[in-house]
Amino acid sequence: MDVGLLIGLFASGIRLSMAIGFAALGETVSQRAGVINVGIEGIMLLGAFLAALGAVWTGSPWGGVALAILGGVALAAIHGLFAVVLRADQIVSGIALVVLGLGLSGFGYRLTIGAAPVEIPSFQSLPLGPLAKIPFIGPILFDQAALVYLAAGTAVILAFVLRRTALGLELRAIGENPSAADAAGIDVTSRRFLAVLFGGAMAGLGGAYLAIAQINAFVENMVLGRGFIAIACVVFGRWQPLRVLAAAVAFGLAEAAQIRFQTWYPKVPYQFFVMLPYVLAVVALIFSARGSAVPRALGKPFAPSRKSGGRAYGAAMRLRARLPL
Amino acid sequence: MISRPSVKASENRPAAEFAAGRPLLAVRGVTKVFGATVASDAVDLEVWPGEIVGILGENGAGKSTLMNMIAGLIAPDAGEIVLDGEGVVFASPRDAAAAGIGMVHQHFKLIGSLTVAENIALGDPRWGRGVLRFEPLRREVGALAAALGMAVDFDRRVDELAVGEQQRVEILKVLSRRPRLLILDEPTAVLTQDERPGLFRMMAELAARGTAVIIISHKLEDILETCKRVVVMRGGRVVDAAPVSGRSRADLVRMIVGENLPNVSRGAKADAPSAPLMTVEALTIGRPNGTRAVEGASFTLMFREILGLCGVDGNGQSELIHALSGMLRPLSGRVVYHLEGAPAGAWLDAAALRRLGLCHIPEDRHRHGILSGFPLTANYLLTHLGLRDFNRSGWLRQRTIRSRVTEAVAAFEVKAAGPQAIMSHLSGGNQQKLVLARELAAAPRIVIAAHPTRGLDIRTIAFVKQQLLRMREGGAGILLLSADLADIWEIADRVVVMTNGRLRGPVAVADTTLQEVGHWMTTQ
Amino acid sequence: MNAAVVRRDVFWGLVILLAVAVIPGLCILAAGKSPFAAYAALFGYTLVTGNGFAEVVVRAIPLTLMALGVVAAFRTGIFNIGGDGQLITGAIIAVTLSPWLGRLPAPMGLMAFLLVGFLGGGALGAFVGWLRARFDANEIIVTIMLNYVALQFLTWLIRGPLQEPMHIFPRSFAIASSLELPLLIGGTRVHAGLIVALAAALIMYLILRHTAFGFRMVTVGENRAAAPFAGINDRRTIVLAMLLSGGLAGLAGAVEIAGLHHKLQDDFAAGYGLAAIAVALMARLRPVGVPFTALLFGVFYIGVGALQRQAGIPFPIVWIIEGVVILAFLAYGALIRRNLAHS
Repeated sequence: MDVGLLIGLFASGIRLSMAIGFAALGETVSQRAGVINVGIEGIMLLGAFLAALGAVWTGSPWGGVALAILGGVALAAIHGLFAVVLRADQIVSGIALVVLGLGLSGFGYRLTIGAAPVEIPSFQSLPLGPLAKIPFIGPILFDQAALVYLAAGTAVILAFVLRRTALGLELRAIGENPSAADAAGIDVTSRRFLAVLFGGAMAGLGGAYLAIAQINAFVENMVLGRGFIAIACVVFGRWQPLRVLAAAVAFGLAEAAQIRFQTWYPKVPYQFFVMLPYVLAVVALIFSARGSAVPRALGKPFAPSRKSGGRAYGAAMRLRARLPL
Repeated sequence: MISRPSVKASENRPAAEFAAGRPLLAVRGVTKVFGATVASDAVDLEVWPGEIVGILGENGAGKSTLMNMIAGLIAPDAGEIVLDGEGVVFASPRDAAAAGIGMVHQHFKLIGSLTVAENIALGDPRWGRGVLRFEPLRREVGALAAALGMAVDFDRRVDELAVGEQQRVEILKVLSRRPRLLILDEPTAVLTQDERPGLFRMMAELAARGTAVIIISHKLEDILETCKRVVVMRGGRVVDAAPVSGRSRADLVRMIVGENLPNVSRGAKADAPSAPLMTVEALTIGRPNGTRAVEGASFTLMFREILGLCGVDGNGQSELIHALSGMLRPLSGRVVYHLEGAPAGAWLDAAALRRLGLCHIPEDRHRHGILSGFPLTANYLLTHLGLRDFNRSGWLRQRTIRSRVTEAVAAFEVKAAGPQAIMSHLSGGNQQKLVLARELAAAPRIVIAAHPTRGLDIRTIAFVKQQLLRMREGGAGILLLSADLADIWEIADRVVVMTNGRLRGPVAVADTTLQEVGHWMTTQ
Repeated sequence: MNAAVVRRDVFWGLVILLAVAVIPGLCILAAGKSPFAAYAALFGYTLVTGNGFAEVVVRAIPLTLMALGVVAAFRTGIFNIGGDGQLITGAIIAVTLSPWLGRLPAPMGLMAFLLVGFLGGGALGAFVGWLRARFDANEIIVTIMLNYVALQFLTWLIRGPLQEPMHIFPRSFAIASSLELPLLIGGTRVHAGLIVALAAALIMYLILRHTAFGFRMVTVGENRAAAPFAGINDRRTIVLAMLLSGGLAGLAGAVEIAGLHHKLQDDFAAGYGLAAIAVALMARLRPVGVPFTALLFGVFYIGVGALQRQAGIPFPIVWIIEGVVILAFLAYGALIRRNLAHS
């Protein structure tokens, strides 16, 4: 096989993996803290739309990124409210988020930039100087959009934080045994809420990447299951940031391969190639035995023994006490 | 229930040698209400440095709630906590720890998948607010462990340690903060007879150095051995307090319950020749992680007897019980059930065994045995799905179920609103009574009872024991698993001891002593 | 229950109702239209006009069947989000076999068609159930992935092997007329699938409340660890429950083809899966309530479609409404639980 073809395949694979990668890294943090968010698909979709909108309004892709992160945090805050504070069913709350993401993005799109075709400022690739000239791995690893480097850096930082810092230890603790963490004096509720918000920010970022670094357009419903594939990556990567990112890259490679297969083997109906990443996700889930890596308290609501959240929460509680309840 | 005002602190002072100076801890009028339940009702308590105080009371008396408030886990609704003369308000357990109060919980607050070092570092800002610093931790806490005679491996995951070792980690974690007041909640529940003296020595040593120690325990022997003073709680109030010297176990029971309990009499075992009900032959059972939980176990359960299965938690008893009751397939060996209609050779699952006349009172009813969000009828039906009266070719006969449950509820004195009451609305004791009603209703020939009295109040415990004896009189063979030797000694005819997956015995209770069996529980 | 608790429940119920009405209303304002006019038009078309209500009923039929499938799975503790894929699979297999089924005498052919749809969706459901029971594979992801796979299969089939004889349009050949569900009300599209849906609701109710199998399902859903204790085969129960769940979705697919479209085409039931989940949740996972909540969602979908045509309000607002409704029920449930704890 032609080396140029391989380089193109791998470079494309990395480029196609980062939308899933961002979302998966965020979900890793959220799940390590014990909260599962199946709604990141909806957050990604909203993020994609807001990124396109923001980029058009501000004229710069970074404006789009900022708006997408804000939107992701806002939607995730809803999930945090229901899943963490109200202790409702986390799966159902996530499903609501998927639906809301669909609705908000579609509705907003048709009211704003969907009316007429518009140019969306997007990210170009950013070669890292001399590194990009290294034969073979240079074009693959060091000639990507800025967000790709951001994703890789985030994965490394997350891995370090989880293993070697007090914050990471607390996060791991609240996902494994929140009552023990509570007894150690950790504010489980606010930490979990923050983890959920981080997950939402990253999912929004993933959606932004999709719209303004990968496809360079917004199309309704464009996430096409990547948010769920991201959750599969978390399981496949055993909740460790670097492995999760690697799993996302594997899916990116599968996507890059499947696109090329369509042109290489035109006799085979293209739909079978499109199916590949989804089938891969199912196979990955079957064979990654969950074993002991899953955070033991994942998905289970936790009622702290005492009030938490500091002054704002206290004020809200006093206000509530005055309402006719 | 006696309704007396809480004992005032002034009536509850230790002997003169301690009363010098001021108390280390003074709890005044502390109240805590959960919904409609008053968990703590204007409680007064004083603890002096250097003394060991025992807190006694039935389940639900409010002991743990009170201790949780002192240790900062729960905030009191009213009253004050005064530490060394200054009023304190704890916003979290971290504040309490910083103020010098440490608590070792009954259910360890350890994170299984983290290492010993990580568990000790959790929540303690001394070991780093940003990046964690394990070297200083290893040095300082290692020195502390050595001084206390504890061996500790900082890098092992906590869930790989034995239960006794885990408790040592929990204690080390608390002691590493150098508390002035140490609270121990049921510390001997998981220890063997041989490990208890070590714990008591540590408590005495701490007290000698001026640390105040509070111990909650329902094991009256432990209280009698270690404490100078006892405080008795009931219904959220302190109802009695007294020095320990000169008291007997019976005295303590009377203080807790308020009256003398009827003696549960075992009754003489008839000399009639006995027939086997269940023969276990070289049973080997594995754990999910590949290790062996039970190795070559063999014994026979006879007609009309109670066979006590003793052993410290975690030595394979749960797995043995699960295999015998049809929940778990063994790796090798077999069990022969001498019941009418039992097919030879085939492995029988729980439903098949129930049809043959075996019943199982589960160790952890919340995990396996009940459906808490469902009504009593569903819970009763759970183990009677094969009964033709209830299930006619797949169609449920709801009316029959309801009337049968109503009868059972009356017969076993279960306090519930009706057969459709939701299980989780019943108290723990009443839930267990329903489980008993359900299991014993069909007059089973074999009863497998795993920790049937765990977590229950003294009255319900006596009721359960009476029911088991009644079944024995009726000819049933009962395998009784319990970690409480005193309980087993009261009603069992023979005992068999389990250590590290291996069985020793059976031996008639009359032919051995509590101490000897306790000793067997710890040797290989 | 004392009066204070009832008052609290009603208070929060009203707050939630308000939120459900207000949030989409704000979106409509953002679109530059009057919310009151919009709601009036929505309910006016769907509830007052005969045509509108008929369309609501037509939409409610597959929603009812799929939501009953959701109830079966969720009550057993399995989050089956794969209704769309199971619906497509059932429809595909039924249409593929329709040439042979069409040769059977009239009522039998139709029954067989529906049965094949049920079995097709059921097989897919049972497969997912087996993956979950045996490998503990996360069924949420697996079912959603299979939705996409099934969708790709559909797009291929209607442009390939199953395409209509002239090979121009991306749709399948038409099914034999003997396999069509008769119309119930002349002048509308309301077809006999309505009877199938209502019968299914009744059967689900009986299964869950009065059969040993239903008891096993809800037991596994409430506390899977209780299954070995009681001697219930939890793996078999999960697979069978998923068979039932997928089967109902597959049946919905067959009913839609037999009663409405009479052929396979792109997007023939797009997005019904998520809507069915909302319908099931709103009915508190009780089969008896499902037809009613399905009607309500039918009102939303048809009404918003009318709004888009008449007032230019973008159709995606229906998903905003759906999301808010799901959250509203979640909030109500959580707050009632709190009230109960505090009473």
